[in-house]
Amino acid sequence: MIRRWLPLVIGIGIVLWVVALALLAVTTRDSEEFGRLQPWILMVNAAAVLVLLALIAGRFSELIRERREHVPGSRLRSQIVMMLSALVLAPLLIVFTFSVLFLTRGIDSWFHVEVRQGLTDALGLSRAALDLRMREFLARTERIAEDLEYERETQLFNALAEHRRLADAQEILVVSAGGQVEAWAAAGLLDGMPPSPPNEALLQARGGQPFVSLDPVASGGYVIRSAVPIGVASSLQGRRVLVAVYPVPQRLADLAEAVQGAYQQYGRLSYLREPLKVSFVLTLSLVLLMALLAAVYGAFFFADRLVQPVQDLIGATRAVAKGDFETRVARGSKDEIGYLVTSFNDMTKRLARARAEADASRQAVESERTSLAVILARLSTGVISLEPDLTIRVANHSAGDILGTDLQSRAGQPLESVAAEHPLVAQFLAAVKPHVAAGQTEWREQVALKADSGRRELMCACTALPGEGDEPAGLVLVFDDITQLLHAQREAAWGEVARRLAHEIKNPLTPIQLSAERVRRRLLGSLAERDAEVLDRATHTIVQQVEAMKQMVNAFSDYARAPAVELASFDVNKLVREAADLYHAQDARVRFELDLDPEGTVIEADRGRVRQVLNNLLTNSLEALEGRDDPRVTIETRRLAGAGVRCVELAVRDNGPGFHRDLAGQMFDPYVTSKPKGTGLGLAIVRKIVEEHGGRIEADNDPSGGAQVRVWLPVDEASRGATLPRATKRPEPRREHA
Amino acid sequence: MLAFGAQAAEERFEIRNAFAQPVDGVWQLTAIVDLSLSRAALDALAEGIPLTLVLDIEVSRERRFLLDEGVAELQQRWRLEYDALSERYVVVNLNSRAQATYPSLEQALDDLSRIDGLPLIDENLLVAGSRHDVSLRASVEIGGISTAVKLLVFWREWSRSTEWYTWSIRP
Repeated sequence: MIRRWLPLVIGIGIVLWVVALALLAVTTRDSEEFGRLQPWILMVNAAAVLVLLALIAGRFSELIRERREHVPGSRLRSQIVMMLSALVLAPLLIVFTFSVLFLTRGIDSWFHVEVRQGLTDALGLSRAALDLRMREFLARTERIAEDLEYERETQLFNALAEHRRLADAQEILVVSAGGQVEAWAAAGLLDGMPPSPPNEALLQARGGQPFVSLDPVASGGYVIRSAVPIGVASSLQGRRVLVAVYPVPQRLADLAEAVQGAYQQYGRLSYLREPLKVSFVLTLSLVLLMALLAAVYGAFFFADRLVQPVQDLIGATRAVAKGDFETRVARGSKDEIGYLVTSFNDMTKRLARARAEADASRQAVESERTSLAVILARLSTGVISLEPDLTIRVANHSAGDILGTDLQSRAGQPLESVAAEHPLVAQFLAAVKPHVAAGQTEWREQVALKADSGRRELMCACTALPGEGDEPAGLVLVFDDITQLLHAQREAAWGEVARRLAHEIKNPLTPIQLSAERVRRRLLGSLAERDAEVLDRATHTIVQQVEAMKQMVNAFSDYARAPAVELASFDVNKLVREAADLYHAQDARVRFELDLDPEGTVIEADRGRVRQVLNNLLTNSLEALEGRDDPRVTIETRRLAGAGVRCVELAVRDNGPGFHRDLAGQMFDPYVTSKPKGTGLGLAIVRKIVEEHGGRIEADNDPSGGAQVRVWLPVDEASRGATLPRATKRPEPRREHA
Repeated sequence: MLAFGAQAAEERFEIRNAFAQPVDGVWQLTAIVDLSLSRAALDALAEGIPLTLVLDIEVSRERRFLLDEGVAELQQRWRLEYDALSERYVVVNLNSRAQATYPSLEQALDDLSRIDGLPLIDENLLVAGSRHDVSLRASVEIGGISTAVKLLVFWREWSRSTEWYTWSIRP
C-alpha cells in the first residue's frame, strides 16, 4: 500500500520543494512580497533538507547493514549510489562555484563609483535648481514683509490674502513675537488654525536672518518654506515673523523626486550589498544542498530500480540451487534485464520439467526395486548380491534362512566377517572363493554344507552384475536348499527298492519255510539221530531266518507302503502321556520327564501314525539308553504360532551317547543305523510319516549330551502348506515326570 | 551629522525617565529616552534607509494571589529617515501620520526622545486605590529589509531594544 502511493508522495514533495525554492528566491529579492510567508518558506526548505537528510541517513544505514550481512546486490547498489552521487556532485559544485562567483561580482558591479558619483551629481544639480527657486521665493517673502511692515492689523488678513495670491504662495502667515499666529492666508480651506511653523525658522528669522528651506511633505513632493522678520524689533515686543510656504513647480518637483528616489534606492542597495550577497549565497547553498540531497536520494531510488531485478535473480538462483525449481522472477521491464528474467524463468521451467521426469524415473526404479525386494523376500531361493570385494550388498530372507543367520542386517559388511561367526556361511564362502579367485563370474555348483542338524545340499549359481568396462559391478549368488529334493529322490528310490524287495523276496519265503518244515517232518523220523539232529537244527535255522526275513520284508513293505492318512483331532500331550506310561511300564529304570505345553496341543493328524512316530523315537531312545546308570528321556511339546503358521513342536531327548558324528545328515536315510540289530528304518519311517503330515523333523545332539529329535507338526490343514520353522529357541523346561 | 551619529552610537540606549500623571481624567505619559543609534543604524540612515522607533507601553493592575491583570497595551511608532535632496531628517508619526522635518539628526533624535503628554489611559479604566504598573520599552529597527535577509544574515544587529522600564501608579 505504502509502495503504491510512494511515487505520488514523492512527486508532491518535489513540487512543494520547487515552489518553496521559487518563493524563497522571490522573497529574498523583494521584501514587500510574501513578507509574512518568508519564515515559513525558509522553514519549509529547512524541513525539506532535514527530511531528505533523515531519509538518506536511513538509506545509508540500511545499505551499510546490507553490506555487513552480505545481502546479495548490496555491493552493486552501493556502487551505483556512489557513482551517481559523484556524477551529480561534481557538476553541482562547479555550477555552485561559478554561480557564487558571478553573483558576488554581479552585485559588486552594481555599485561602481561612477554610478554613485552620477547620482550625487544629479542630486547636487537638483539642489542647485531648487536653490535658485528658494532664493527667488525668499526674495518674494522679503518684499511682502517690507509691504506688511506698516500694514494695520485690521487690514492684515486682506493684505496677506492679496500677497499670497500675487506671490503664488501656498500658505502665508504672520507669527507674533510671542509665537502666536496673528494672521494667515492659504490657497485652500484650512480646518482651524494653520500648523505652527518650525521653531528653527522662527528663531532664525527673529535673529534677523532670513530662513528658507526645502521641506518634504507627508503626501509626497516638496515645499519651499521661508521666514523673514517684519520690520524692526521693538525692545518690548520683539520681531514678528512672516512665514511663506511655496509649492515647488510640478515639473521640477517630479524630477527632483525621481533623483531623490534613485539616490535613496541606490543607497539602500549599497547598504544591503553584503547582506544581499550573503543571503543570495546562502539561498544558493540551500538550493545546492537540497539538489544534492535529492540527487543522492534519487541515486538510491534508481539503484533500487536497477538492483531489485538483480536481487530477485540472485534470490531465485539460490532457491534453484536449493532445489526449488518453482521459483519465478517477476518481469518488471522490457530491457535487457527483463530479457534475462524471462530467460531465467524459462530455464527454471525446463529444470522443473527435467526434475519431474527424473523423479518419475526414480519412482519407477524405486517401484521396480520394491517389487524386486518383495519378490526376493517371498522367494524360497536364497539371493545374495555381493560387491566385487565380496561385501554383502543385498541378501534376502531365504538366504539367511538357508545359511543359518540373518544376512539382511549384515548388508555392507564383508561376507568374510560374517563367515567368521557362522560355520555354514564359512562353508558357503569356501565354496564360492575358488571361483572368485579364478575370476569366474558365471558358474553353477552343488555345494554340501554340514550343519548340526544334518547335511544340507545347496544348488548355487553365480552371475556377474554388469559394470563399467570389463570389470563387473558385483556378483549375484542364487542358491536353493535341495536337501529335501534330494531326500525325496532318495526316498522314492528307497521306496521302490523296498517295494521290489517285498515283492520279490516275500513271495519265495513262504514256500521256503513250508518246504523246510515239510523236509523236517518227512525226514526227521527216518534219519539217524545224528543226522536228525543236524536236520532239525538246519530246518529250524531256515524257518527262523525265513521268519526274520519276513519281518524284514514286512518292515520294508511298511516303509514302502504309503497308506492314506486319516486325519482326526487329538491332543498330542495325551498321546505323549500314554506312550510315556507304556514305555515306563516296560522299563521302570528309565525316568521320563515330560514338559508339555499347558495351553493345549490339539492337532489334526493321523493319530495312529503319530503314535508310531512317538513309539519309534522312544524305542530308539530306550535302545540308546541300555546300560546307562541314570537313563532319562525328556519329552517336550510346545504350541507355536506366527507368520500364518501354527504347529506343535514335539521334542524327544535322551541322555544317551547321541548320534554318531559320521551319521550326521544321514540319520533319516533307510538302512542307516549305528545299532547292531537295527534295520535302519525307524527314523526313516518317522520322517516319512512326519513329511506325509506336512511336518518337519530335525535330529542332532543335545549340547548337554544325548540325542534329540524335534518334530514340527502342523495344527491344521491351513498350516500344512506353510513353511515350518527350522529350529526354535526352547523355553525353560517345565518338568513333568512319568 | 555622521560624526554625531558615531558619537551617539557609543551612548546608552535606555529609558532615562518616565512618569504618568492624570490630566483632565486622562493619564498622560511623559518620558525621556536615550536614543543612541548603533553604527549599523547610523549607516543605514545615512544611506537613506528608514529607521523605525517603537514605543511599547503596557499597563497592568496588581492583584493579590492572582496574576497581574493586563489593563492596556499601547504601541507608538515613528519613522525616521534622511531626505538627501532637502538634507533634512524626516520624522513621521506612524500612528497619526503627522510629519516633522529637522535640519539635523540631533534635533530629530532630541524631538523623538522626548515623549510629552502622550495620552495613556482613561482614568475610569483604572481601579481607584489599586496599584498599577506601567512598563515602557523602546526599540529601534532598521526598516525596509526583507525578513528572509534578516533571517539569513541573522548575525547583524537589525534592531535594538531597551530594557523594560516599569513604575507604579495608584489612581
